Amino acid sequence: MSIQKGPTTSGSPATATSVVERLRARIGVDGPPISARVEAGHVKRFVEAVGDPNPRWSKEAPPTFLVALAPVSLHLAEAEEYGKGWLNGGNRFEYLAPVLIGDRITATGRVADVYEKSGSTGNLLFIIFETDYVNQRGELVARLRGTAIRR
Amino acid sequence: MNVKVGQELPELVKHPTTRQLVQYAGAQGDFYEIHYDQAYARSVALPDVILHGLLKAAFLGQLITDWLGESGTLRTFEVSYRGIDMPGHPYRCRGRVTRVDGEQVDLEVWGEDDAGKQTTSGSATVQLGS
Repeated sequence: MSIQKGPTTSGSPATATSVVERLRARIGVDGPPISARVEAGHVKRFVEAVGDPNPRWSKEAPPTFLVALAPVSLHLAEAEEYGKGWLNGGNRFEYLAPVLIGDRITATGRVADVYEKSGSTGNLLFIIFETDYVNQRGELVARLRGTAIRR
Repeated sequence: MNVKVGQELPELVKHPTTRQLVQYAGAQGDFYEIHYDQAYARSVALPDVILHGLLKAAFLGQLITDWLGESGTLRTFEVSYRGIDMPGHPYRCRGRVTRVDGEQVDLEVWGEDDAGKQTTSGSATVQLGS
């Protein structure tokens, strides 16, 4: 049986390094802004899925609803060359003004940082995303920071 | 609202099901297969489908807003996902007051699996008054 030497497989140091480098080149570059209206029906489906019957959510969006309004991370095809799957490491929300039903929110996301760490089961790639949410009056209503991990 | 350091928030116990994960996937628009496709979850070395981190964040958000009622506003809310949680197991949301500075209150919040392991940890800052 002959074994052919194929190209370097994903996860090898050479490939991993270039993925990290390519992703790092995107740090600080805003993704396309995405606008969406905070619709009563969408908020209702969201709080039903969470199981949060607070009547307050008939007028206002609950704390984590903004993640349902626009994707929380930019799609980075090159990141998927690294490891097998995604994990969510954490999220941080900062709230500056209420988000009400009927508001039109524009979300602008960017990559804030990219780095590699060695874990107990191999190397991990950390991608930090930031999203700013602005309402129809141009007010910054919230900021989100998320840690996406490729493992 | 009378708030003291060390005071615990009334706990919230959730009973997530696979159905709820599908419902949440649809409501959030996160269709990553590890949350509803068992064969896929196993193919990426997970024991089963797992809860969305952001669903656990939503549970902890509910813990805080249930406690806060109309008495204040959430200013910051941060969660770290330290372990996986699977449907069919209760998920216990807990919290306590760590600091009171006038109208500003800091909270520590966390989620526990059915073995009492902290799989999500977090913190929040609330502003009392409206």
